[in-house]
Amino acid sequence: MASLNRRVFLKSATATATMVVMVSQTPHILAQDAPSSGSVSPCLKLDSNGQIALCVPIPDMGQGMETTAAQMIADELNVNLDDVKVELMPFLGRTNAEGRAVFGRFYQGGGGSGSTMRIYHEVRRTAAYARTVLLEAAARNWRIPRRGLVAENGHVRDPNSERSISYTDLLQSAQSVGDEVKPNSIDPKPANAHTAIGKDTKNVHGKAIVTGEPIFGIDADISDMAHAVVRRCPYLNGDVVGFDDTRARQVPGVIDITTLDRIPEDKSIYRSVAAGVAVIAETYWAARKAADLIEIEWDGSASLEDDTEILKSRCLAALDGDDFTTSIEGGDLQAALSSASHVVEATYIHPHWAHTCIEPHSCIANVQGDEAEIWVGHQFMDAAINGVTNAVGISPDKVKANFYRMGTGFGRKFEEDFVMEAALLSKAVGRAVKVTWSREDEMEQDYVNSLGAYRLRAAIDGNGNINGWHIRAASDTVPAIITREYPARLVGNYKGEFHQVPNGVSRGAWRGPHHNVAGWVIQSFLDEIAAASGKDRLQNLLDVYSKKDVLKSLNWPYRDTFFERYRAVLQKAADESGFGKKMPAGWGQGIAVHHTFVSVCAHVVEVEMLGDNDYRVHRVTSAIDCGLAVNPLGVRAQVESGIMDGLCAAKYGKWTLDKGLVTTNNFDSYQKMRINEAPAYVDIHILDFGETEPRGTGEVSLPPVIPALTNAIFAASGKRLRSLPISENL
Amino acid sequence: MAVSFTINGMQRTFDGDEEMPLLWHLREEAGLKGTKFGCGIGQCGACTVHLDGEAVRSCSVPMGAIADANITTIEGLADGDNLHPVQEAWLEEDVPQCGYCQAGQIMATVAFLKDTPNPTDEDINDGITNLCRCGTYYRIRKAIKRAAENMATA
Repeated sequence: MASLNRRVFLKSATATATMVVMVSQTPHILAQDAPSSGSVSPCLKLDSNGQIALCVPIPDMGQGMETTAAQMIADELNVNLDDVKVELMPFLGRTNAEGRAVFGRFYQGGGGSGSTMRIYHEVRRTAAYARTVLLEAAARNWRIPRRGLVAENGHVRDPNSERSISYTDLLQSAQSVGDEVKPNSIDPKPANAHTAIGKDTKNVHGKAIVTGEPIFGIDADISDMAHAVVRRCPYLNGDVVGFDDTRARQVPGVIDITTLDRIPEDKSIYRSVAAGVAVIAETYWAARKAADLIEIEWDGSASLEDDTEILKSRCLAALDGDDFTTSIEGGDLQAALSSASHVVEATYIHPHWAHTCIEPHSCIANVQGDEAEIWVGHQFMDAAINGVTNAVGISPDKVKANFYRMGTGFGRKFEEDFVMEAALLSKAVGRAVKVTWSREDEMEQDYVNSLGAYRLRAAIDGNGNINGWHIRAASDTVPAIITREYPARLVGNYKGEFHQVPNGVSRGAWRGPHHNVAGWVIQSFLDEIAAASGKDRLQNLLDVYSKKDVLKSLNWPYRDTFFERYRAVLQKAADESGFGKKMPAGWGQGIAVHHTFVSVCAHVVEVEMLGDNDYRVHRVTSAIDCGLAVNPLGVRAQVESGIMDGLCAAKYGKWTLDKGLVTTNNFDSYQKMRINEAPAYVDIHILDFGETEPRGTGEVSLPPVIPALTNAIFAASGKRLRSLPISENL
Repeated sequence: MAVSFTINGMQRTFDGDEEMPLLWHLREEAGLKGTKFGCGIGQCGACTVHLDGEAVRSCSVPMGAIADANITTIEGLADGDNLHPVQEAWLEEDVPQCGYCQAGQIMATVAFLKDTPNPTDEDINDGITNLCRCGTYYRIRKAIKRAAENMATA
């Protein structure tokens, strides 16, 4: 279909290049794909102008994934990252028997702090194959055996004759190598031979970013597309009763105005697409202006009890009741409590947080008959494609998807709603449509972090040790994870229970889902225990994490937890920060540790009180164990990012519902931290235990920074923060 | 009534809706996508450009207000292939993570350093108010200082 073959059209000569790597359904054949179109493998693209492009499988949202993956490929191919381009691969998955897009050879999603470890072997193996094909191609050119040839600096060299030929000059020969090199037969380099992996590597798209190149999803344009602006119902699960678009239709350039129905219709089921009224126009501004002129009557009656204050009250009330599911239990908690020297008890509560992705969502869709094409920044390639299928029923293998860099994701750009809307509207008007969200849309239609309340009790024995651990969690999101977190099972007598309050709130993954608040609740309470027992705060934590050497985590991804690592990051953060040193009056330090998914991180936060109700964070000292740090500079960037995100969420994060109406919908009503509140000193230490496998970093530093902050405020002021956000509770 | 102005030294004329913010003229009509949409209410600074050398938030500047103005965007900051010292400092400190807000951060910093060529931490706290959702503030602060140093010795 001609309209589907239109090339991506970006109004700049430096536009993201169109991918030419072909797609195969079969991983075995994949590595040999597309010899005629310039690729030696899905990881390497060569052109006759001498340009080498490394192709990476996972989109970047700021977590540095494209840089990290490029290092892996550069290491196998022996190329300098300064001499090559780095591009995003297309989706290389397939359609399964249920008609869903699923990953193929490569994991092609960013989430769970695990992207690096999920592609580490396949990407290097694929790049090693490409290197071997190039060596074989050179050997054939020179009519000598492959053995002994060297791949370096983008060239193959023959040490015997000192002949050398560039990779790009080998393109044609490489394409005729065929089965001579078996795709999966070449092992990647051993760790001690790495040249790019493990080295500080700057963002490979840094120059494109600082010069304003159009590399983000919202920057994509295609020819002949229309623009859509949607007025989405600001009430949770609300509906459009009626609307008057008389004035809107007078705006020049308006093509059509149409309703979008809530998907699914059944409001007891999670929202996929919000009810709303969409304006389709020739330009963005015409659509925006017309949309604002529509008079809409909303029905907000479906979610009157989805109200921040009501939900908080219900969570707190639930803690006093008996309606709990036991998630974990061991020893004899009652005996520990009744024989305790003293019992420490505290209740914590936090509101919802919004994602506030800095790039508002957007998507271009072109639906024509039984085929579709999309242009979008999305965290998961399979989910974006499935969004089209879910919206308009087109099979994933008939969806061509073009992916872009994201202006942050944090879990929100994992959702399908912004893709579904674009597909629905394109189908409705029969042409390509770009849907651009406003900030208000992004916040009102968020899939937010949970709201919850927690009651913890600890039995302390005569020696000041924790002998019993009891946690109750009540939340709008099934709060089982926090109840299974340590120190349950480290402490011999324990019980974890949870309760979900009924609600209609759209909830989703927010950087470090569940862990982001579990870290705060548990590490604050351990700090309370130390204070109540008169124990040194660091020693109290070291004692807790010395009770066992290893336990298999009961939370995803269910790996062994090595408590030596907890102790190591705590000790390092403490040593480097001078934890426990004498501070001036009104200053304080706080320490905390948390393991998120695959890695463990500890921080010491140093604060100065500014009067009774405010504070300044001066310094954060961090230690992280994330396995092999493929890019230490990038790991530090992610740790910095999680610190800032956590400090910001703790102080200001509060997404508010007033009887189902979202009342915090832009940066005037939802405050974010700026540079004036960011610590001027951040000192990060990546621990090296000699591991040869990477784990993950993106979410790991956030959960422990919030308790390190609130514990520091306690040390500085004597005020224990059991309710967030800090700005409203200090 | 038509409005005339320059963008990155190029003369332009606009004859459309004077209520349209400059941001959308840049992105949708001038083909300059480096200036970003973030909030639409002048809060986040992702859309920061220079209007007669001053940093402004282009989402809140209507086209009717820019008659005879000289607009500079991130695309017009470098001198040919030579990056501006602030862009260089951003690369040297490896500031960008997602990168979406960084054009605005850089434009804000260039204007800031013109008035405050040797900034203290407090000057930076008062003078730079753009939002970065990745939290690159620690590296932004270092890059501002590095740019100031490089510009002083240039």
